[in-house]
Order: sequence, then C-alpha cells, then structure tokens
Amino acid sequence: MRANEFRAWFFSGRDGEAAAVVMRVDGERVVVEATDGTVRESEPLTTVMMSEPFDHAPRLITLRSGGTLEVEEEGGRLARALARAGVAVSPVVQLRRWWPAVLVALAGLIALVSLAYLKGLPLAAHWVADRLPAGIEGRLGDQMLVALDRHYLGPSQFDAEWRERLARRFADAATKAAPGVPYRLEFRATSEESINAFALPGGVVIVLDGLVRFAGDEAAVLGVLGHELGHVAYRHSTRQVLQSVGVGMLAGMLWGDFSGTAASVPLVLGVLKYSRGFEREADDFAIAFLRANEISIEPFYDVLVRLVEREERRGIATLPDFISTHPSLAERIEHVFKALDE
Amino acid sequence: MGGLGGPPPSPPNARKRRGGAVALLDGPPRGAASRSVHEERLEIPPSSTYASAVAVPLVPLDADAPSMTTAPLVFTGRGGEYFRIWVVNLLLTVITAGLYSAWTKVRKAKYFAQNTRLDGHVFGYHGNPKAILRGRIIALVLLGAYTWGFQFSRVAGLVTLMVLCAAGPWLFMRSQQFKLGNTSFRGLRFGFDARVGEAYRIMLPILVLWFAPAVVTALTADEGWQLGLVGLLTTLAIPWMHHRLKAYQHGRAVYGDRSFAFLGARRKFYGVYLKGAGLVVLAVLLGTTVAFVIAWFRGPASQFPGTGFEAAIYGGIIVLPVYVFAWPFLAARLQQAVWTSTRLGDVRFRTEIKARALFKIVFKSVMLTLLTCGLYWPFAAVALARYRIECVRVDSELPLTAIAADLHGRPVAALGEGAADTFGLDLGL
Ligand SMILES: [Zn+2]
Repeated sequence: MRANEFRAWFFSGRDGEAAAVVMRVDGERVVVEATDGTVRESEPLTTVMMSEPFDHAPRLITLRSGGTLEVEEEGGRLARALARAGVAVSPVVQLRRWWPAVLVALAGLIALVSLAYLKGLPLAAHWVADRLPAGIEGRLGDQMLVALDRHYLGPSQFDAEWRERLARRFADAATKAAPGVPYRLEFRATSEESINAFALPGGVVIVLDGLVRFAGDEAAVLGVLGHELGHVAYRHSTRQVLQSVGVGMLAGMLWGDFSGTAASVPLVLGVLKYSRGFEREADDFAIAFLRANEISIEPFYDVLVRLVEREERRGIATLPDFISTHPSLAERIEHVFKALDE
Repeated sequence: MGGLGGPPPSPPNARKRRGGAVALLDGPPRGAASRSVHEERLEIPPSSTYASAVAVPLVPLDADAPSMTTAPLVFTGRGGEYFRIWVVNLLLTVITAGLYSAWTKVRKAKYFAQNTRLDGHVFGYHGNPKAILRGRIIALVLLGAYTWGFQFSRVAGLVTLMVLCAAGPWLFMRSQQFKLGNTSFRGLRFGFDARVGEAYRIMLPILVLWFAPAVVTALTADEGWQLGLVGLLTTLAIPWMHHRLKAYQHGRAVYGDRSFAFLGARRKFYGVYLKGAGLVVLAVLLGTTVAFVIAWFRGPASQFPGTGFEAAIYGGIIVLPVYVFAWPFLAARLQQAVWTSTRLGDVRFRTEIKARALFKIVFKSVMLTLLTCGLYWPFAAVALARYRIECVRVDSELPLTAIAADLHGRPVAALGEGAADTFGLDLGL
C-alpha cells in the first residue's frame, strides 16, 4: 500500500452495502477504486465533506455523488497524506490535538469564567435591573414574601399602634434622606425570635420583632432600616436575583448540555445574601441616612458590634442579612466606626 | 413532581438529562444491519474495528448463515481525548457568549457517533450548526417566557402555556426529524416519519397534563385541594406520559426505507416507576437524615433549613442520593423495557444494562466531578456513554444490508431540535 493509498469502506448511499475499496489521495483528487482496480469515484478534494479527525474513530468522507467513505486514521497516516495534498486543518482541531495548548485553553477558560462571574455578571445584572419594569420587580418581591410568609415568617407581636408610629418615623426620615425611593415596610416575626431585617425586590423591607428587641433603641432600628433602604435604593436584591439566574446559565453552559440552563433557572431563595460591595454600599447609605436626619450613628454601630459578639458566641449559622458571613465583617464595622469620628 | 410548589412546574426530566451519553442513546435504535447476503462474495468477516478487519484475509462467508446473529456495539471514545475537545469547546462557547454552543453540540455529537461501532462500522452525525443556533435562539425566547411569564402576570403566564401547547407537538416532531435525519449508518440516514396530526394527537394530552398543576396554581389563589388532586393525577400519569412519548419516538423512527416498530411496554413502565418511586422515597429519607445530622452537629444555633447558600447545600445533600441511587435504577430498567420492545423488521434489540453497574459509574462520576470542581465531567460522560452503548445488543435473523436508501436529501430546519434540547423534552431514559 503506497503512502497515499488507504483501505476504506465505501457506501453508495443508495443501499446499505459496505464495499471494501482503496481510497487514493491523488494530487488534488480523491479516487475510489474497487478491489478489482476499476475506478468507482473520482472527485476534487475541495468538494468532498470531510469529518474532523478523532483519535480512535474513522474519518467519514462524503462525496458529491451521495456516497460515503469510512477511512481509518491509521495512526495519523491519513492526516499526513491529506496535509500533503493541501487539505487545511481547522485551528480548533490543531488546538485540541496538543495537550499543552489544551492546558493553556483550560487556564484561559478558568480565567474567563472567573472574570464573567466576578465582573461580568454583576455588571450585566445591574444593567438589566435598571431597565426592568417596576411591575416585574414588584411581583417578584411579592411572590418571595408570600413564600417567606408560608414557610418562615409569622405576624409581628408588636401592637398596631407601635408599628404605625415606627413606620411613620421611618417614612419621615426616608423622605428627608432619600426622597423618591419607593419602599414598603412589613413587620414580621419568627418562632425562634430571629434577629433580622431584609429587603426584597421591588422595595419590600421586612423587619423582624427579634431585631427590634435586640436593638432596643429606636435610633439603632432606624439605622438598620436605613441600611435596608440602601439595598432598596441600589436595587441590590433584584440584581442579586438576576445574578443567580446568570450563575445558573453559566453553570448550565459549562456542565449542562444547554438543557442544564432550563434546570437551573427556577429561582431559589438563595438571594438574600449580598456581596461585600453591596453591604458596604448599604452601610454608607445608612450612615448618610442617619446623618441627614441628625440621628447619632453610635447606636447603629453598637448593634453591629453586639451582633458580631453574639454570633461569635453562638456560631455563624444564624447571621442576619445586614451582618453577613463575609470575612470582611471586621472591615465593615471599622468602616462604620470611621464614620463615627467624622 | 415539581409542580406542587408553585408556577411554573419545572419538568423533572430536565434535570436528569446530562451530557452526551444520554443524547446519544435516546435516539432510535442505532442501526440494524448485520452481514448482508449481497456482500458475501467480498465481505470481510464482521469484527469490532476495521483495523482488525483489514488485517485478516478476505474469507467468503457461508451463505446459509445461522438463524440468529448478534452484533454488539463498541464505543471507542476516550476520556482524555474528550476532555481536550470539551475544554476547547467550552472556551469558544464562553468567548462567544454561547453562540458557539451550536457548533460544540455538533462536534460532540460527531465524536460520540463516530466512536460508536456496530459490526465494525460507525455512525455519523450531520447536523447543521447554523440551523441548531437558529433553533436555540427561538427556544431561548420560549424558555424565557416559560420561566418569567407568571412573574409578569397571570395572563402572560397562561398565554405562554397555551403557546407551548400549540407549538410543542410540532417542535418535538421537528426535533426528532432533525436528530434522526442527521444521523447515518452505513451511508444511510435514519429518519422520523413525521405527521402533524399524529404529533398533536400524541403530544397534546401529555402537555395538558404536564401544565395542569401550573394552571391550577394560577387560577386558585391558595394551594388548596384542587392543586393536590391535579398534582396527584399528573404524578400518577408520569409513566403513562413517558411511555407514550417513547412509543412515538421509537415507533415512527425510520432507517433507510425500513420503519421501526414499538411493541408497547406500558405495564413495564408502571412497574419500574413504582419501584423507582420507592427508591426515591428511600433516597430522600437518607438525604434528609444526613442533612439533619449535619445541622445537629453544627450546633443548636443553626436553623434547618436556614436560608440562601445553606439551604442550597442542604438541598444538594437531599437531592444527591436521588440522583445517585434512584436515577440509575430507573434509567437501566426503562432502557431495558424500551429496547426489548423495539423492532426494525426482523432486527431485535436488547440491552444488558444493569442498575448496579450503572449506579457504580454514576456514584464514581458524581464524587470525582465534585472533587475536581467539574473537571472530571468529560471523563464521566465518556464512561457513562461507553457503558450504556456497549450494553446494547442487536439480534437479527436475516442479514439486512441491501436496504435501499429512502432519500432524505431535503434540508430540515433545526428549530425543533434546539427547542427539545432547551426544554429537556428529549427524555433521555
Ligand atoms: Zn445588608
């Protein structure tokens, strides 16, 4: 067998017969010869459709006549013959044939995915959140509140009159510090007396009885509510929801087979935990909020410190929203502490 | 099923479909032909690879072949090789923000098809990436509407479901047509005998049942007894729906000018699903116990299930046993039921797939994939494909080589193909 000749199977496409043939790469043509030496097909290399090379699979070469050749690679002999005849190898094939190049591609992939995760997704989520109709955001928040009410939250134990007074006080302060930020204050409680407050998409701010009791001081409660209003003003929770959708799509792209995205799109309640940057922004907002109303920052700072102390004693499992588990906690407290001096 | 929580229910099957292995096997029976009468003057004895076939001299075969011949399928793909393809595919997909995924899909399908040998010859895949891309864009729009429709308004959600019911059967039919029409063996294309009326007759009841819980949730304010009733009905109908779909897929498949037939295995489906449901309950109990023990060890301060990230972890601990224990059982038993009911003329199929062996592969794959942050994924896909493919046996009494090609020259738009992919309609069992 000469260097440009290969044993092959030929399928006419008219029936399923497998004919043993010899395929010859003859100059710029593919010539198919039957075992008795008669030429069955002859076609320019430029018009045949050739499948990519795989290590252990034969090449499928489709001719214009509708016939197909099944040719083994023979350890690269076929690829070499084709290269001599001037058949170009796609860059993708060249890349994936060489392990070092694949490892570089892997490093590039990891870098790109990290970049997309850390920078791209937040940016895209911000962009979309700013353009999302308010109705959708509102409905999203309402649905999450319904889900929370069903599974975690109960009605507040404080009497209506007291709640009314705090709500009015907060409304006045909000008008003064951040007019035009639409929000809705909701009072709730949990059976374990959780100390928490959080913001949902569309401006729903939930404050739990446990937090009010723990804070003890109206100024401190207003500081915490100011922090949550900050999340509302910056649309943090909507952005968080959008980011989690994006993470699902990214993961689907990597490990799913496209249908993976369908599986990961349904929203989970895993959106109540914000990034470090979001918390910092909300803290800054709270400080500005308190200052605009000439309320001391100290009680707010106090609550932060006492909560950290308490959580350090009890383990980190029940950390409320506005004290997240990020290692930057000390940094955040320090940040608020600096504001105390100014 | 997923529909009990709130609208819209996410198809549980969407979660099960992973990787190329499944995509490769949920098609029609692959190929059929064993040795042919016509060829016997020159034919090389069947062997697993051409390389070994060409090494032996041409030996004429006995014209009166034994009444039953069995041809195994051989898979020649390797984890390391597929890993390289996977990395490069992913890099290009991420760089192009997903546009390249249509090309990666084709390359992957070609890799798995051309590494599958039946009687020494390989399968081919010929899908057009551009057609797949077009299909995927439209499918993405539908998926977005499906996911966010009820978020927008009740009317928008219901309209979306109606559109899906109206378009679903057609899309599914086209997806089968595209997938099979672009798969070849021995130079002949597979195909799907698509008839619009039949597609709607088969699929509409399935879609209506499937979306019923979402519709009830949307129409009744609270999750009352109506939802419970409809949810139960849909859950009980899952084996029926799955069987109906499989019977349609296999019963209308074509190879060359021969049609496949599906004999029906409804009772087997119910039996397998009943046992599978028992395993799912056991797996959930196991996972919940483990999650509770972990929560207990973490101290009294930790709440179960907690919120956010923690809830996701606990959810994973509960779902993992279902995937590792219950899925292999369902997959293996259903594959047995489907293959033994499938015929291509005189050609019969069976699979020697075993739940226990499949469980070992899935368990190893899940653990190593988690440990390697996902890098084991392509190795897992190849291992799973190898096992599932090499378990299949093709038995025939009459050699079938001289099948005249039923011409499939007309191009098929890939719309349906992409859509079935996105919605996970392509039940991979
Ligand atoms: Zn916060």
